[in-house]
Amino acid sequence: MPPSQLKQLKASLKDSGVIAPQQSKKQKRQNAKTGATAQNRNQRNAALQAIRDRFNPFEIKAPSGRAKFEATTRDSGSKPAARARPGVTKSLGEERRRATLLQEMNSRNKVGGLVDRRFGENDPTMTPEERAAERFARESQRKMRKESMFNLEDEEDDFQFTHMGQPLTLEGETLNDDFEAGDLGGEESDEESSRKRKRFVDNDEDMEMEEDMDMDNDFIDHGDGDQPERKKSKAEVMKEVIAKSKFYKHERQQAKEDDEDLRDELDKELPGLFEALQGMKNPGKPEPAQQDLDAMNPERAALLQEPEKNKTEREYDQRLKQLTFDKRSAPTDRTKTEEEKVEEEAARLKKLEHDRVRRMRGEVVTDDEEEESDKDSFMQDDEDEEIDDAEAFGLPSYSYQPRPEMAVEDEDNFVIDDDLVETRSNASLDMDAIDTEEELSEEEEVESENEDELINGMTLPTTTASGAASTAVEVNQTAEGKLAFTYPCPSTHAIFLEIIKDVPTEDVPTVVQRIRALHHPRLQPGNKEKLGKFAEILVEHISYMANESEEPSFAAIESILRHIHSLAKTHPLNVAMSFRARLREITTERPLNLLPGDLAILSGISTIFPTSDHFHSVTTPAHLCMARFLGQCSVNTVSDFVTGAFATGLCLQYQTVAKRYMPEFINFTLNALCNLAPTEPTSKLGFFPSRKSDDSVRLAPSKKVTPRKLHFRDIIASASDSDAQEELKISLVTTFVSLLGAASDLWSEKPAFAEIFTPVREVLQYLRQSFKSKVFAAAREPIQTTLDKIDAHLSSARLARRPLLLHTHKPLAIKSAIPKFEEDFNPDKHYDPDRERAESNRLKKEFKREKKGAMRELRKDASFVAREKLREKKERDAAYEQKYKRLVAEIQSEEGQAANAYERERRARQGKR
Amino acid sequence: MPAPVELNSSKKRKSSKNGAPSSKRRAVAEESADTVTIEKLENQVAESRKYYNNIATLISMLNVDSSAKKPELAVAVSLCRVFSRLIAAGNFVDSSRAAENEKIVVAWLKERALEYQRALMAIMREADIDSQVTALSLAMRMLKARITHIPGAEHNIWTTLFSETFEAIVEARDGQDLRTEFVSKYLKEYEDIRYHFFVQVSEYAETRRSSTTLETLISLLSACGDVPSETHKFETFFVEPAATNKRIHSVNAHKKRAQEAWLAILRNNLSQAQRKSLLRIMVHTIEPWLSRPELLMDFLTDSYNAGGATSLLALSGLFYLIQHKNLDYPQFFAKLYSLLDADLLHSKHRSRFFRLLNTFLSSTHLPAALVASFIKRLSRLALNAPPSAIVVIVPFMYNLFKSHPTCTFMMHREIRDKELAADIEARGMDDIFDMSELDPLHTNAIESSLWEIETLQSHYHPNVAAIARIISEQFTKQSYNLEDFLDHTYQGMLSGELGTGEKPLRKPPVVEYQIPKRIFTDRMLVEDGGVDSGPGSFMRALWDF
Repeated sequence: MPPSQLKQLKASLKDSGVIAPQQSKKQKRQNAKTGATAQNRNQRNAALQAIRDRFNPFEIKAPSGRAKFEATTRDSGSKPAARARPGVTKSLGEERRRATLLQEMNSRNKVGGLVDRRFGENDPTMTPEERAAERFARESQRKMRKESMFNLEDEEDDFQFTHMGQPLTLEGETLNDDFEAGDLGGEESDEESSRKRKRFVDNDEDMEMEEDMDMDNDFIDHGDGDQPERKKSKAEVMKEVIAKSKFYKHERQQAKEDDEDLRDELDKELPGLFEALQGMKNPGKPEPAQQDLDAMNPERAALLQEPEKNKTEREYDQRLKQLTFDKRSAPTDRTKTEEEKVEEEAARLKKLEHDRVRRMRGEVVTDDEEEESDKDSFMQDDEDEEIDDAEAFGLPSYSYQPRPEMAVEDEDNFVIDDDLVETRSNASLDMDAIDTEEELSEEEEVESENEDELINGMTLPTTTASGAASTAVEVNQTAEGKLAFTYPCPSTHAIFLEIIKDVPTEDVPTVVQRIRALHHPRLQPGNKEKLGKFAEILVEHISYMANESEEPSFAAIESILRHIHSLAKTHPLNVAMSFRARLREITTERPLNLLPGDLAILSGISTIFPTSDHFHSVTTPAHLCMARFLGQCSVNTVSDFVTGAFATGLCLQYQTVAKRYMPEFINFTLNALCNLAPTEPTSKLGFFPSRKSDDSVRLAPSKKVTPRKLHFRDIIASASDSDAQEELKISLVTTFVSLLGAASDLWSEKPAFAEIFTPVREVLQYLRQSFKSKVFAAAREPIQTTLDKIDAHLSSARLARRPLLLHTHKPLAIKSAIPKFEEDFNPDKHYDPDRERAESNRLKKEFKREKKGAMRELRKDASFVAREKLREKKERDAAYEQKYKRLVAEIQSEEGQAANAYERERRARQGKR
Repeated sequence: MPAPVELNSSKKRKSSKNGAPSSKRRAVAEESADTVTIEKLENQVAESRKYYNNIATLISMLNVDSSAKKPELAVAVSLCRVFSRLIAAGNFVDSSRAAENEKIVVAWLKERALEYQRALMAIMREADIDSQVTALSLAMRMLKARITHIPGAEHNIWTTLFSETFEAIVEARDGQDLRTEFVSKYLKEYEDIRYHFFVQVSEYAETRRSSTTLETLISLLSACGDVPSETHKFETFFVEPAATNKRIHSVNAHKKRAQEAWLAILRNNLSQAQRKSLLRIMVHTIEPWLSRPELLMDFLTDSYNAGGATSLLALSGLFYLIQHKNLDYPQFFAKLYSLLDADLLHSKHRSRFFRLLNTFLSSTHLPAALVASFIKRLSRLALNAPPSAIVVIVPFMYNLFKSHPTCTFMMHREIRDKELAADIEARGMDDIFDMSELDPLHTNAIESSLWEIETLQSHYHPNVAAIARIISEQFTKQSYNLEDFLDHTYQGMLSGELGTGEKPLRKPPVVEYQIPKRIFTDRMLVEDGGVDSGPGSFMRALWDF
């Protein structure tokens, strides 16, 4: 509860000092003497007025609506209701307008005028005496200060006008006489005189205009050197300064030029220095025609020299860079002992094997953060759009566009071990040294450590190209005399075929070897690309060779494959692309009808590329190719089965290390055995899909047949007679059986071994049963051994079987959803996390507020103007009215006087009468 | 109205004939002579009744008496003109008030018209393609002329002339083009023709027909286009039907005819292939035509029981009935379970089947034992499946595990019973699952574990292996969209791996670091002491090169 009105009034009266404790008489008297009472009275009146205003309830605007409780509103508590006093603000605004707007209004349409800026002129509180005193004080103060050098006032005594450093002495007595002396006749107009005045100010700058100023000549004395002891004028000082600076500048330039000359000399000596460093002679370049630069302007010469200098600088930079990259001489490693070498080699091999195992597990071998980030960005991209679930596993989308880089496939990005690519390993050296010995029986090749083994060290990099060629020739002469020694490097397979047209197949590897030697990358810059191309051609040639003849020479193919392998170390991309092209050809043209060439390519892949990798850009498609063939090929003829047997064998070979499971392998082998068995199985032997050949390929021997080892030519050649046919069939059966045995070894660790091999066992048992007849005696034994092996594996698999425990993960934490908590939250503040938006909102709000305010002000201005106008008009009207009334009154009074006079006159006449 | 047009054109022809004959005409003198005579005969008929005998002459000129292999098309066309004109002129109408000899003339004319129609049918059956098509259009014109100009003949003509035409079309030799012509020009265009076509099919298929004929009928029927909606207004008519004919304006009548036609076909002796193709189009093409789809029940259940691919195909039709017609099919899931056989995952209907299976098993109210049986059986089959099938199975299982958490014991089973654990530790265990059990509720699958999928985690194809690995990872994803996994093939996977063109690899592939001593041959075997153990020795042991 605020105190009552009365108490408040009392308190405020006390505060403002209206009611003061009783003063003593002495004090009163003193006050009266100093006139403080009058002042006090004024103050008191003002304070009283203020108090009156404050306590006038009509002056205070009541808040709109009732005050709210603090609990319900956030406004009331924080700030007390604003005491709006519209009357005060209004009158304040009115006052301000009167001071500004009204002034403007009054001075509108009026030009010119005087502004009185004399000190204290508009101050009504000052007495004229005070004013005068203050003015005087200011004046003298200004005189005392030396404010700037341009202040003319203070140099009053020794100031004189000068022209060209000469004081101006006028013929006339004073400057003031000028006006009187000059006849007003008209030769000197106003304008000219103003020009003249200007001239006085800036005459030391415009010296060239001197001639134009003839009319001024009479003012100026051109006399020179008359006053030697004269103080130096400013212009002179400036001139001196300029001259000095020019001199220094010139000196500096000179010094710089000298330096440059020196540097040029040094530069010229640099080649000699290099020679001394490198110890070999460089043919001196013809010197460029020396230009006669000295005769020229130095700047122009510098300009001309610029590019040249650039060139030399660039050369210098290059040299410098070369030098930085040069190896520092370091103490050579000591020669290693044999044991150390072996140890090192073992460690290297171990590391390689470790890498391979990691790739097999599908881990990324190198730490590629870059890829990591790639992956991340990919994932982010994906979050917005609809994700194909299958695509996340690297399966192609149905449109078969080139796939995006997937998490799963990132595994193929291995960095090739430089060690393997660039230099030759000691192990292969040893191995290949033997090779070399055998093939060429030349001892020195073993020593040529730095060369690829398959070229047989025919090139010696220290000699020139021609030297290498001649060495090659010699070497080859010792090997065999009939082959040509040089071959061009072919760019297409057709050209290669042309080259080896007359060469017997056995010698093709030699030709390849010679081409590789002649185009060794160290001999010529373009050779690397050429050899890359050559590697691709060789891959093509492999399939060509295997397809071409009935009985391809596998020694030659093998040798060429080894060549490709060694080329693949330096040209992995070329070889891989070429193999992929072969695979693509298989997929598009004959997916279910593999040719011998394709089989050769597939076996080549198995040796050249690591088949155990989790993902590999060559072996993975090769796997798929074989699986597709096994899963879908026709099984109508015996040769189909032979091809299938080769492919199944290859499958197992691919999986020797990684031991991955291939459903197609089991399906195909079991189907083949069912189809080859002498009698058709009566019941289904397992859950593999059965495929029946159209024509019977069942064993139906008339006499005893013994299985043999299959031969590659069986794939193409059809057996001549039925006996050979039967022999082929029975050997197929034994091959398949042994393949199954090998597979059972390979996959014995698989958790579902029992499920996979129970049907196999059934098929084999059935086979054993149907092979009861005497003629199959030879084949019975391998079946039995395989069966025993599988049985053993099955029982051990049973022993090893445990219920699955796949989900031993830590339970996932529930995603936390704690809201972000704002300490001392203020509802008036905006917590917009988007800063830009918040900023723009703030600006918008401010703009709105300002606009509103400005509009209100304008409106008030307008009403003020209207009011003023009205007032003026009223004033004018009132004045008019007054004037009118005055005139009327005047006339009336005159009339009245006249009437009176008349009356008097009449009365007088009447009286007279 | 064909008559006036014909008159006009004949006049034109006459004038050109009167004028100087062109040299071209002379060159083909014989032919022109033929055309000239034909035209002459034709015009005479138009001129006066006394030349009616010319019709007989023209018919004899058709050259179809013994065999219709080489008909005179010009004659046929001109005859059609003649008949159209006569019909339009009302010469075929025998009113009872007419004179006796008039009646004789009309009867004679009708006789000739029949003869002409028979000739046309013969042409359609036997002649070459062009003639067949022409004969078809002539026959249809005759049909139109007769129906429009002879009152009260509508029903009669549809049952006689149209039925003959229909039979000729169906039985035509090399009639592929004829039939496509019929389908595109008439069957799809005109709704009344479709209506009567249905009638004819149902009548025609009443008797047992050969398999090729049925094939034709099926192809014609399935080409009939979309089913009219309930509010459809029939407006496109070949011949404006009589106002009294209400049936041709009603959707239900159309549907009824179509249903009869289809049922007649289904009742006929279908070959296995036809059955499959019918089942394939069942849901989209056949069922909309049927007002009472439950009539298909027998056909579908028979097909479903047939086994193999037929069963797979019948499944969707059956499901339609179960879903919409409340068909109660006992042992549905047992039957469905039995469909999961060795060939299923290799079948080309695989994706179709999985779509349906996904629908059937999507209910969360199914017993867990049943779902577990499906999961286990599928995983068994996956051991022999191509990668494209495994890729479907595993996400499918994942979804099932998500909706039936009880089944997750198949992935993770801790044995709390100490004795049992010790026993397993000592002696191992067998898979308790019974693959030969037919009832999915009693296979013990839920007590088993999914060792098969664990094996597939080491599948040769990295992507398949990655997919198989999802069941051993945390089940954080809500579900996999099965549709994304359904239609993969070897071809697709291969081209996904290899790409289509020469796009350089991002990084050079790894090359085997050791160059083997031998690949095919026994090179330098002595060095190793005669034992071949290096890489590739496996193949060398099995093969001679």
